Amino acid sequence: MTSPSKTLRAVTLVLRILLGAVFVYAAWTKLRMPWELFAMEVDSYQVLPLKVVELVAHSLPWFELVVGLLLIAGFWLRSAAAAITLLLAVFVALMVRAYAKGMEINCGCFGPGDIISWKTLLRDGSMLAAGLALTVLSFLRRRQATAR
Amino acid sequence: MNMRLGAVALLWLWPAMAAVNDIDPNKTAGNPSAPVTIQVFSDFECPACKALHERTLPLLQRDFVSTGKVFLVYREFPLPQHAHSREAASYATAAARLSLYQPVADALFRDQVAWSTNGKVWDTVAGVLTPSQQTRVKAAAGSASVLGEILRDVNLGHAVPVTSTPMLLVSRGDKRYPVSGTLSYEILKSLIDDLSK
Repeated sequence: MTSPSKTLRAVTLVLRILLGAVFVYAAWTKLRMPWELFAMEVDSYQVLPLKVVELVAHSLPWFELVVGLLLIAGFWLRSAAAAITLLLAVFVALMVRAYAKGMEINCGCFGPGDIISWKTLLRDGSMLAAGLALTVLSFLRRRQATAR
Repeated sequence: MNMRLGAVALLWLWPAMAAVNDIDPNKTAGNPSAPVTIQVFSDFECPACKALHERTLPLLQRDFVSTGKVFLVYREFPLPQHAHSREAASYATAAARLSLYQPVADALFRDQVAWSTNGKVWDTVAGVLTPSQQTRVKAAAGSASVLGEILRDVNLGHAVPVTSTPMLLVSRGDKRYPVSGTLSYEILKSLIDDLSK
């Protein structure tokens, strides 16, 4: 095994464990509370009709949990990494929109009390960058494996 | 550091304090032994608080407070960036001593745009009081007791922590959930229904 591929593997491992843990934690903060609290946070972005808000509030935490566990376990890595990156891109876009409009709302990322600010944007933006890197790395690794 | 220690202490003591010691009975609605208690942390100068007061709270009163399912507690949380909200909170809290919190709060929210622009908070308050009530409210508004009550509400809010206004602290027994944002009544109703079971 060459040194660059070792590095690639190590970076991939760190990123997937970190992002996986963050997503499992995010899911846990939502699932331990009544679903209505997360629904209100989703609703406060004022982009979805009520029925869709309820659907998102019921399903998103479970999706975060499953995708987070897949990342930690390393199963379906490319799909899980791509899904998390897409999800983070949507979250960041919605947060930027809310921040730009001056909406003083909770981001809904890790339970209550997490009001949108430049800090939350920086945090989620960093996670998006990590997700993008992980997605690229997981596809690169796949390409290397098939080339051998 | 002292503030942090104070906040930790308040958080530790919260359930007992919130249950008995620190509630002004004149700033409540409903049955104190109702299964669910909702503490409303609000700022008279905040537009979202006006919306909550005028649209959501009447529905809450109708569906849950008057039916004995919810005990409502009003808390002052004047934000530092609002020039007149502390003055408004003082008048409302002073009016509560005469059991006139509700009419004064209604008037303050109704005329929010006017007094927050021209600073004439007292004109709005005086409009719903008789001359003798005006004298008593004005005198009480500057008292240490009223100012202390507002400070206590603010400190309790910091301990929750209240990150934006309005915030509702919905609680049943040891469980307590801070709720903020646009507060869709349908979702809030579902939460209270679930907690009431």
